[in-house]
Amino acid sequence: MSDAAILATPKQWPSILLPRPALADPTDLDAATAAGAFSALRMAIRDLGPTSTIATIGASGLRGRGGAGYPAADKWRAASDTPAAHRVVVANGYGADPSASTDAVLLTRNPYAVIEGLAIAAFAIGADEAIIAVRADAVATIRVLEATLAAAQEGGFVGLDAFGPGRHLDVSIRTVQGAYLLGEETILLKALEGKRGQPEQRPPHPATRGLRGLPTVVHNVQTLAAMPWILKNGSEAFAKIGAAECPGTILVQVRGPESSGVAEVPLGTKLREIAGLSGAMPAGRSLKAVLVGGPSGGILPPDELDVAYTFDGLRAAGAHIGSGSVIVADDRACIVDLARVLTRFCADEACGKTIPCRIGTRRLSEIGDRLAGGTSRAGDLDLLTDLAADIVGSALCDHERLTTLPLVSGMRYFRAELDDHIERSSCPAGVCHPIAMAASATH
Amino acid sequence: MSFIPGLGIARGMALTLRRFFEPKATIRYPEVKADIPPKFRGRLQLLYDEYGTLKCETCFQCAQACPIECIDMGGMDTKGRFHVHWGAAETYGERREESALRRSGRPVPDPAYDHFEGIDVAAVDEILTGFDHDPAHLLPILEATQAHYGYLPVGALKRISQATGAWYAQIYGTASFYGHLRFEPPSGAGEAAGGGRADDSAYLAGLGAALAGRPGGEA
Ligand SMILES: Cc1cc2nc3c(=O)[nH]c(=O)nc-3n(C[C@H](O)[C@H](O)[C@H](O)COP(=O)(O)O)c2cc1C
Ligand code: SF4
Ligand code: FES
Repeated sequence: MSDAAILATPKQWPSILLPRPALADPTDLDAATAAGAFSALRMAIRDLGPTSTIATIGASGLRGRGGAGYPAADKWRAASDTPAAHRVVVANGYGADPSASTDAVLLTRNPYAVIEGLAIAAFAIGADEAIIAVRADAVATIRVLEATLAAAQEGGFVGLDAFGPGRHLDVSIRTVQGAYLLGEETILLKALEGKRGQPEQRPPHPATRGLRGLPTVVHNVQTLAAMPWILKNGSEAFAKIGAAECPGTILVQVRGPESSGVAEVPLGTKLREIAGLSGAMPAGRSLKAVLVGGPSGGILPPDELDVAYTFDGLRAAGAHIGSGSVIVADDRACIVDLARVLTRFCADEACGKTIPCRIGTRRLSEIGDRLAGGTSRAGDLDLLTDLAADIVGSALCDHERLTTLPLVSGMRYFRAELDDHIERSSCPAGVCHPIAMAASATH
Repeated sequence: MSFIPGLGIARGMALTLRRFFEPKATIRYPEVKADIPPKFRGRLQLLYDEYGTLKCETCFQCAQACPIECIDMGGMDTKGRFHVHWGAAETYGERREESALRRSGRPVPDPAYDHFEGIDVAAVDEILTGFDHDPAHLLPILEATQAHYGYLPVGALKRISQATGAWYAQIYGTASFYGHLRFEPPSGAGEAAGGGRADDSAYLAGLGAALAGRPGGEA
């Protein structure tokens, strides 16, 4: 099972991020420029200028693909309106979710689009420094990036005098590793500054006060890769693709019981259709749930799958786009165990800076352990509801807020299964260990 | 100002006694804010949770923030990564004295103190030169140091602190956050070999087990 395989999608779906057919050699600069790479950057520098570039991206409705869906142009305006001698753009290619390789797939299959988008963003906000942050263990991705960045520098698209005489753009690749949270932008910036990875209070947002105190725009690599397309094809063309409130396409990692791969889907596609990309259910199995958003994702039941895959649609359903991961669970899975595993991971990865982070997530994970372990106490579900609300209300960064999703969505949609664990000490799927043992002992 | 010997003491004791028998008042913070002197910082104490584990995460935020360096951390962090530096430090009383002693430049007597192996710091010095002795490059410096020694020896951390001017607490606080940095020589088995985070693999294994209906997602 190769996570990086590209799944087949309907032909009429647009391809903005992943070229179709795939490029023979994604690192070949001549082939890429022949296909139009860096023409959007040239257009921005020669014809549009920073203000119109920001306006075009604003009119396209492009929202950040890193999970929160914040409008890209708003960040740019905040950064370019902040007086500063230097500004920075950071491409977030960390790809925190261990079960998703969407960003790595983009970086290896269409690296010039990311570099061009990075340069466009830097030009628009008046930045002279750009950083591509990737995982230190993503050896193949780093190799591709080093080759393509060197070629782009050689070609004069970035580096000295990139935006005209005396206007440089210094681009570097920085590798970071060692924690899940490094994907979060303020933590990523801390790592780039050589500090302990703990988030900062916002505001000030990084766009006004980020790396080394400079206005810093952090974008997911997919957000950046969409920018050249928008400038070339126009903001109206982009705004027509996908959902009205969040146009464009996004990469998803769809994992079914038998196969897994990456696909580029228009935002607003029904979740059912995205889940279906991983192929049919194996014989004798039925779809039980879909986990949307990665380790801190929401667990949705089959009758919620008509929800549109958008930032707001998923939030309302109790999930989120997150890492773009969509995991299909069949009837062998136990929702309680699944939620327990997810919550445990999120609690272990929490940084410990604040009380909801340090203690709240740990208590949450203990509730999960009790539910799955057959030792739940009276009132545990009320406690869960209360605790989740408190964490959401008092969290410092989004990680704690999102950590509540697996258990809360599990409770919202699979209450009967939770009740089986709590009241009858039985696990219908036969997964949960102590209970399953107890059940088989009484046979 | 007093001519009667001992009057001052008597007055003081009277105040103490009066306070002693006054009813205790609970101040409903944060609705009501107590009137406390501006320099009052409360009592330094590490708390335990109901399972008896220390709540302190050894995140070093307090050690970094304390202006007079009276706080320094010791003990074990929640991920079992800390090794005691000045002996077990569960209370701060002795620690303050130690710290004062340390600032006086004299060695801290500590029966439980285990001498760290001396290291040849030439390699650290070379690494530091490569990074301009700039603590903004702390992560690459630590990574290069670990690549050379196999782990981060205390001697190396101290050298980095000395040479960059960054506090030991800050360096330790940074190093202890990142999963790939370690303070002991690798044990051989159990280390994630070549790329990939151990936590990630454990998560993927747990996820796979939960999805396939296999018990055993437990790490
Ligand atoms: C726990 C956590 C993990 C995150 N991981 C990633 C990640 O791996 N990659 C990413 O691009 N954004 C990640 N984000 C979102 C970033 O904080 C940030 O919003 C994003 O990089 C901004 O880019 P955008 O404007 O293109 O969305 C994460 C956020 C949180 C709270
Ligand atoms: S080291 Fe961190 S967790 Fe421990 S007492 Fe200080 S601030 Fe609190
Ligand atoms: S993970 Fe610690 S504050 Fe958000």
